[in-house]
Amino acid sequence: MPLAVLLAIVLGVLAVDKPRKRADVVVLNGGDASTLDVTRVSWQQDNRIVSSLWEGLVRNDVFDPAFGKIPGMAERWEVAADGKTWTFHIRADSAWSNGAPVTAGDFVFSWQRGLLPDTPSDYQGQLQLIKGARAFTDWRTAKLEAFAKDGGGKARPQEAAALWEETQRRFAELVQMKAVDDRTLVMELERPVPYWLDLCAFEPFYPIYRPLVDAYQSLNPVTGRVDARSDWTRPPLLITNGPFKLVDWKFKREMRMEKSEHYWNRDKVGTDSLAIAVVDDRNAAVVAYQTGAVDFNTDLLADYRAEMVQQYRACLAEHADAVAAMVKDGVDPITITRRLPPDKRLHVHPLPAFGTYFYNFNCLPKLPDGRDNPFFDPRVRRAFSMAVDRSNIADNVRRCGEVPSGVLVPRGSIDGYTSPAGVPHDPEGARKLLAEAGYPGGKGFITVEILFNRDMGHDIIAEAVKKDWEGQLGVSVVLKQKEIKIVREDLKKHDFIVSRGSWFGDYGDPLTFLEISRSGDGNNDRAYNSPAFDALLDAAGAEADPARRLDILRRAEELLLEDSPLVPVYQYVEIYMFDPQKLTGVSPHPRHKQQLFMLDVIGDGKGPEVFREMKRTQEARP
Amino acid sequence: MMRVIVRRLLQLPLILLVIYTLTLTLAWAVPGNPLERGERRPAPEVEAAMKARYKLDSFWGFYWSYMENASGVKWVRDGLSGKAAAEASKAEGLGVAPPVRRVFDLGPSLQYEDWRVNEVLAGSLPVSVTIGGAAMLIAIVIGVGAGVVGAVRPNSVADFGTLLVALVGVSLPSFVTGTVLLLIFSVWLGWLPVAEWGTLRALILPSFTLSLPFAAYIARLTRMGMIEVLRSDYIRTARAKGVSERSVVLKHALKNAFLPVLSYLGPATAMAMTGSFVVERVFSVPGIGQHFVNAVLNKDLFMIIGVVLVFSTMLVMFNLAVDVLYRWVDPRIE
Repeated sequence: MPLAVLLAIVLGVLAVDKPRKRADVVVLNGGDASTLDVTRVSWQQDNRIVSSLWEGLVRNDVFDPAFGKIPGMAERWEVAADGKTWTFHIRADSAWSNGAPVTAGDFVFSWQRGLLPDTPSDYQGQLQLIKGARAFTDWRTAKLEAFAKDGGGKARPQEAAALWEETQRRFAELVQMKAVDDRTLVMELERPVPYWLDLCAFEPFYPIYRPLVDAYQSLNPVTGRVDARSDWTRPPLLITNGPFKLVDWKFKREMRMEKSEHYWNRDKVGTDSLAIAVVDDRNAAVVAYQTGAVDFNTDLLADYRAEMVQQYRACLAEHADAVAAMVKDGVDPITITRRLPPDKRLHVHPLPAFGTYFYNFNCLPKLPDGRDNPFFDPRVRRAFSMAVDRSNIADNVRRCGEVPSGVLVPRGSIDGYTSPAGVPHDPEGARKLLAEAGYPGGKGFITVEILFNRDMGHDIIAEAVKKDWEGQLGVSVVLKQKEIKIVREDLKKHDFIVSRGSWFGDYGDPLTFLEISRSGDGNNDRAYNSPAFDALLDAAGAEADPARRLDILRRAEELLLEDSPLVPVYQYVEIYMFDPQKLTGVSPHPRHKQQLFMLDVIGDGKGPEVFREMKRTQEARP
Repeated sequence: MMRVIVRRLLQLPLILLVIYTLTLTLAWAVPGNPLERGERRPAPEVEAAMKARYKLDSFWGFYWSYMENASGVKWVRDGLSGKAAAEASKAEGLGVAPPVRRVFDLGPSLQYEDWRVNEVLAGSLPVSVTIGGAAMLIAIVIGVGAGVVGAVRPNSVADFGTLLVALVGVSLPSFVTGTVLLLIFSVWLGWLPVAEWGTLRALILPSFTLSLPFAAYIARLTRMGMIEVLRSDYIRTARAKGVSERSVVLKHALKNAFLPVLSYLGPATAMAMTGSFVVERVFSVPGIGQHFVNAVLNKDLFMIIGVVLVFSTMLVMFNLAVDVLYRWVDPRIE
């Protein structure tokens, strides 16, 4: 009898929980989205989904090497001569997925939400480039603190509502961002920000549908804060303004989008339906691709991926002449694989990414245990940096197409920026420098501990670095492997000597990589403190001329590499898996901003049905 | 019998309270910041706001507010004070559906902020129950079958054969058996689907993989029980009466030999039904097992407690079910 009950349950669940019909395109996006609350998003995976469902003022042209801007919700925009006042004109045919028009006020509401200390965006600092925005946030923060203190834990709904109304007045007064009418948005910045448009194309700057968000927020009568819930992001509730609308979202199973009939540019959408599937196991993800269940895997992490990359390279080598001719012609790497004869090995696409793998030094004068820290001396840090054989790590340890790199800002990823020379691999010079600092042959040096987290092959990289330091500098090195959460805690407390680290850029400016070494920055794990470096960043901030500004930033990076609070090791690679003859719309740009609505299965009769290629450099710059 | 059931059910809230307190204490003590995700650290303002939103600034603050939400006290209070009605009318005024109210609200997931723990569990528990149920069915059929064969002919080739299979079943981890099965039946032969859920075909491989260790254990238990029972007096009497061997084994002996298996089935079913991290990963099954592991790794407090409470409830219920079955199989038990 109990067995019959078991059988009934099994069959019953199966009968109810039927899978949907396969979507036109199925994408693996490295796990499920952690949030679609636009104000809160910060992950690349989440950003990709947000940019498919929503649209900001402008979009990046991901097939332009310069990553230029193309119209989004704004059909055109102007910037005043001082570089500070921007005017955006919202298009007349803009619409939310329920048909309501998208207004300038929607942007004001959304950005205000990101500025509020109650519901802050991770990119609040970027929003605060708007004049008066920082003052507004600080004002409300102080008011909330006072409110909580005065109330002493008692509920005061009237006072909370009054404070909220005052906040609205303050915002209108302080923050220089105005909806002049429904279709005109004007904002004044604190200073000229050359990458402001890039930020406007950045997902946390996208608009949210006000009535929906309002219904899921309430004022807490005890703290005076806005209590927000994020579960309005789920279908059928969710209302968006982008190329797709969300029709179904099963947690960690599938997210299903369909082309939105209200989107102004719907003819350019490549497919009628798109599914984000979730396959947690990285080897099973490859199997899912091979059996045809998935069309595009955005993050190939299989344990044997190095072998797959080697095979991809072997295949390119078989067509060396044709490949060389195309490279000379400026053809992008994805198009190259498409033009070669079909070959399964070319379904793997290792592309340099907008991120750098590096090692951190603790730059404080004292170590956590109270001893003097030899890494306080920039010469020591520089010596250790010069002793690392980056090519060996990239080519023999990682073997996945990573680019060995002696600089922090990935080379060639930002239009108009010339990278400095970079730290060379020079064991001889490193030994001399270390001797100069008082440690000839590594004598008298402390035992160096390298802190890193488990998984992802950090251990074998650490082994290679250990070998370089022990072999070239004569110091002794021990490896400390911990859980990621514990590593993060140690870094925050600067409780380490050397640690591994990495950073991925958010926007198309060197600042996104340099900022994290500014003294006092929340991500300055190194506790690097250089007034000269900070001064250069400030000078760049005050510089109105874009070319001169980039030059100042280059000098800042140069100084950073000279001072070596960190050791750049390699530029990350991102490995995609898809059939280049069947699927198009994947951008090979190192920023790796994928616009999923551009994905187009060639031959299915849906979408524009043309292969997209990266513009050649000469075409892009007339 | 009714008295036993009622008493056990009344004990349940008390058991859950103790488990909740212990789990939260342990989870709270684990180092690491639940608001941190990956390489990036939230800005101090963001962290402060999130801590305030989720009441993460004080242990007792969190302890009471979670208990209020999860026990249904908050639901009653909001209903009585008119807060719920106010929220609903506000949403109606704005033209959107109001936030869902749940009697036992297990809170949001810290890792996946858009989801309530209730929804996550409601989505993944049926999946795990299905796979676990199917796995137990397979395990019982294989295990009891192999155990009986082994007991009837001890030390025969068949006995050693099942012994060997059982040994392999218990010792080989499921990521090995799972991967091998996946490779053979999905990649090479192409008979069964990969990364799919919701069809009978998709159920076969994961539930079979999950059943192996249970089947092996059941086989051992059955064999041991059978060998003992087959030596007892009433079996000799049955045989002396001229009852057929088939009837002796399957009717007379098996019923008594099944008792140890039965007491194992309670916790085993609960274990199978609350998911296996490994099997779910290998076959991309959207079950509950992954949440056990990920919640702890991410220090997702709401999820940890939610999962533990659900697991505890299931364990209590299955043990109760086994006790009831026990009395039914063996009326001598009080």
